[in-house]
Amino acid sequence: MNRLILKYGIPLTVVILAVFAWVIYQRIRGGSDIVPLAVAAVIVWLVGAPAFIYLWPRLTVGGFKRAIVKHGFGEGPIPVNSLYAMPSTPSPSESRGSLLATGTDDLLYLGGWLELKDGPLVLHVPEMAGRYYSLQFTNPSDSSNFAYVGTRTTGTGAGEYVISGPGWNGSVPEGMTHIPSPGHSVLVIGRVFVANESDLPTAYGLAKQVALAPLGARGLTR
Amino acid sequence: MGSVLAWVAQSGVVQGIIIGATFAFLTAILIMNSVARAATTTVNGWSTLRECGRPGNGILLRAACAKALPLVNVFEEAAYWTTTKDGTGQPLSGRHEYVLRFPAGQLPPNGAFWSLTMTDTVGYMVGNAIDRSSIDDRTALQKNADGSVDIYLQRDAPPGREQNWLPSPSGKFKLTLRAYLPGAEILNGSYRVPPVAKAQ
Repeated sequence: MNRLILKYGIPLTVVILAVFAWVIYQRIRGGSDIVPLAVAAVIVWLVGAPAFIYLWPRLTVGGFKRAIVKHGFGEGPIPVNSLYAMPSTPSPSESRGSLLATGTDDLLYLGGWLELKDGPLVLHVPEMAGRYYSLQFTNPSDSSNFAYVGTRTTGTGAGEYVISGPGWNGSVPEGMTHIPSPGHSVLVIGRVFVANESDLPTAYGLAKQVALAPLGARGLTR
Repeated sequence: MGSVLAWVAQSGVVQGIIIGATFAFLTAILIMNSVARAATTTVNGWSTLRECGRPGNGILLRAACAKALPLVNVFEEAAYWTTTKDGTGQPLSGRHEYVLRFPAGQLPPNGAFWSLTMTDTVGYMVGNAIDRSSIDDRTALQKNADGSVDIYLQRDAPPGREQNWLPSPSGKFKLTLRAYLPGAEILNGSYRVPPVAKAQ
C-alpha cells in the first residue's frame, strides 16, 4: 500500500485535485453559494498544514508502533516491553509492503515498543565479542534518538541497562547503567552485524539474547 | 437542529473541510520536502542528511527527517548516501551501464562495515540472477593496477569482472551507500563518494 502511494503519489494527487475542481465547478454552475466552502477550506488549510508538520514524527513512529504491537514481523504481534529479533536479514523475497525490505542485508534487525509507566526495565545485552551492534532508543513524540547502547557508545561487552521513564527516582542496581527516557513510551530498534550467510546463526543467537525484564521483578529475587 | 445539519450538508462546509484538509496535507508534504532538500548535502550526485535523529532538532527539521528517512540513525552511528542520478545528473537506469570507481584507499572509512545496496527508486531490493543486492567490505573485490576499485552497475554480467558486479534492474534504480561507525574523514566532511559514471 505504502509502496503504491509512493510510486503513484503524483498521479493520485492530480486525480484528487481534479475531483475537487469538478465539485467546485458544479457548485458554481448550480448557482450555490461558494463562500462557506471557501472559508472552511482556508481555515482548515491554515490550521491543518502546521498541525500535520508538528504531528508528522509522532505519526511516523506510530506506524512503527502498530507494526510492532499489532502485526509483528512474521511470528505474530510483539508484546509491549519485549524485543523481537528478526531471524533473517532483509532480502528481495520479502513481501513488497514489508518494512524489512528496505534495510540492508548486513544487519539483523530487532524491534520493540516500551511502556515505562509501570516501572523501569532492565535491558540485558550478551557479550558481543567485538561484533558491531547498536540499540537505538527513539522518543515517539519527536522521533529523536535520545540514547544508544552498542559498539560506539558502550562497547561490545555484556551489560545491563536500566531504562526508566520520567519521574522515576529509584536506585540503579550496582553494575547497571542508567538510561533515562524523556517519555513513558520508547521505540527500540536494534541492529546486529551479520558478516555473511554462514555467520547468520551466530548473529541471530546473539540477537535473541538481547532481552528486557522489569526491574521490579529482578529486585525481588535479589 | 435539523435545519443546522441541513445547512451544513447544503452549504459546502463539509466539502470545504475535506478540500482544506487535503491542501493542508499537500502543503505539509511540500514544506517537509523542501526543508529536507535544504538540509541535504549533495556531492558528486550523492545526497546525505547529517542532522537527523538528534534530540533538540526543530519542528521543521524533525518532520522533514521523519518523512525522508524515518527512524534513521544519527550520523555518527551510520552515514547514508543515496543517489538516483549519475555524475552528470541523468537518472540511473538499467538501460545503461555504469562504473563506480573508488580511487585507491578511498572506500568509505568506517569502524564497522560499509555496503552499497541496489534498490528500485522507492527503496525495495530487486531480485536478480546471481541473488546479489549489495556489495560490501566482505565482497572479494578485484583491484585495478593502481589500487582503485571499480564497481560495475549494469544488468548483464561484465565478462571477467563478475566479482565487482552489482546487477541493476531493468528500470530506474537507486543506490544506497552505508558506512556504519563512519570514520573521521566522513564526519568532518572531507570524504567524498565518487560519482557514478556511465560506461564508455
